[in-house]
Amino acid sequence: MKYRLFGIIFILLFLAWQTLNGLIEGDWGRLEGGFENLTVFFSESMWPPNWSVVEARSYPVCESNIEFFCSVGYIGMMETIKIAFVATVLGFIGALFFSSLAARNLVPLYIAIPVRILLSATRSLPSLIWAILFVIVIGFGPLSGVLAMTFYTVGYLGKLQYETFEGMASDSLEASRAMGLSRSSILLNVVIPENSNHLLSQLMFMFEYNVRHGTVIGIVGAGGIGYYISTYLKFLQYEKVFALLILIFVVVVIIDLLSMMIRSFVNDEGDVRRPTWLNLVLTPKEK
Amino acid sequence: MEDSVLTLKNLSVGYDEPLISGMNVEVFPGEIIAILGPSGIGKTTLVRTISGLVRPLSGSFELNVEKRGGLGYIPQRLGLVRHATVAHNVSLGARAGIGFSRHMWKQRSQRTMEALHMLGIADKSKEPVRRLSGGQQRRVATARTLAQRPQLMLADEFLGELDHSNVEIVFEAVQTLVEKGTAVIMVEHHDNNAQLFATRIWNIKDGKLQDLSLDEWNDRTRGGEEE
Repeated sequence: MKYRLFGIIFILLFLAWQTLNGLIEGDWGRLEGGFENLTVFFSESMWPPNWSVVEARSYPVCESNIEFFCSVGYIGMMETIKIAFVATVLGFIGALFFSSLAARNLVPLYIAIPVRILLSATRSLPSLIWAILFVIVIGFGPLSGVLAMTFYTVGYLGKLQYETFEGMASDSLEASRAMGLSRSSILLNVVIPENSNHLLSQLMFMFEYNVRHGTVIGIVGAGGIGYYISTYLKFLQYEKVFALLILIFVVVVIIDLLSMMIRSFVNDEGDVRRPTWLNLVLTPKEK
Repeated sequence: MEDSVLTLKNLSVGYDEPLISGMNVEVFPGEIIAILGPSGIGKTTLVRTISGLVRPLSGSFELNVEKRGGLGYIPQRLGLVRHATVAHNVSLGARAGIGFSRHMWKQRSQRTMEALHMLGIADKSKEPVRRLSGGQQRRVATARTLAQRPQLMLADEFLGELDHSNVEIVFEAVQTLVEKGTAVIMVEHHDNNAQLFATRIWNIKDGKLQDLSLDEWNDRTRGGEEE
């Protein structure tokens, strides 16, 4: 079994290598000097990060006692988080609706197939393209960002959710169907609670994804921290961009810890030992 | 005579090939029927067919129960929502058994609490089902059906490997349903349980259903015809 696994990994690596070689037409010389270029770019343009992005802006005048709350980093990050939050909540609810109509164990095939096609269509446009479309339709600003992310979230989460639903054990579904519960009641009282762990995990992953993508869609004018990143990139202020990227990294890590904490309430691991805030960061001692 | 709750009309069940064929029997309110027979002979398939989850291969059956909540089903793996609480699972039965009405919330919670108390799991009502032992989970599944108050209860080996005290608790609850007119069809692996509780035996042998009274079954087993 072990050798077979190694064999499969070896074959996959070989195929990937061959494909890459084909893509770059065997021109490995392009890699030459690449690392030096990166080192020079990083040390001369990005390092050290310019932390002025977390200091109060000169205009408008800061009315808070804490300077950080008036900084570009905080304002941009908060706007990104708000956009991601609203889009994730709306997208999650929309995805639940569509995924319950796309799972083959919940609805007949003639309903599931068209809904799946619809979800694929929504997902095939990246959130960046959705953002460009909404900026054209309703102009610059956070609303375009929210709508763009919501549409993408519906497509992306919808797929994850219907695959989760299809993977659930059939006995609870069969019992509730035989009992005569309605489709909506089965969805709300059986399917969603039974898959709560996966759904929460997907929800938190999507929130994190939307926060990260908030940086990208901001570049096309859909609001958030991406707007500032885009501006600093235009003026070649890479050290400020680097500081903002570190800020995004910190937020993503915090969301990951939050996700771990929230999921511990519904997964089996949580039954044995629920993590404290401290041992989310530090591995707890074995008893 | 009361109307039957279930009538099998020349029914054959199975997946590709018939496992049991030519069944013609009726089930009346208040009866407890134990389906006996060796593993893989089609007992579960028969129950799944009656519950509407598998199509009959040929023939038909007539269910004379309410469409919503008239049929209670406890599958082999119990069909519980493992991530939800005990109370939530039991309330699913009440939800199925009580239609929409002005007092449905009150009735649901009343039935749920009654069932929880009867099965002795009221103190576990807020625990997720996955944390309970196998025996406790069987009690939850029974409480769900008790809260539903169906006209026909189908149970697939729901007594499982329960110890004697648990079997008594579970069956006392089932008995209250039977007293109200529920008919029970249960797949059983243990002849002992069938002898204790059933009023009729459906013995599956050579792809046929033998409908026997308890006395007839006892005579056969004493005579060494059955194992």
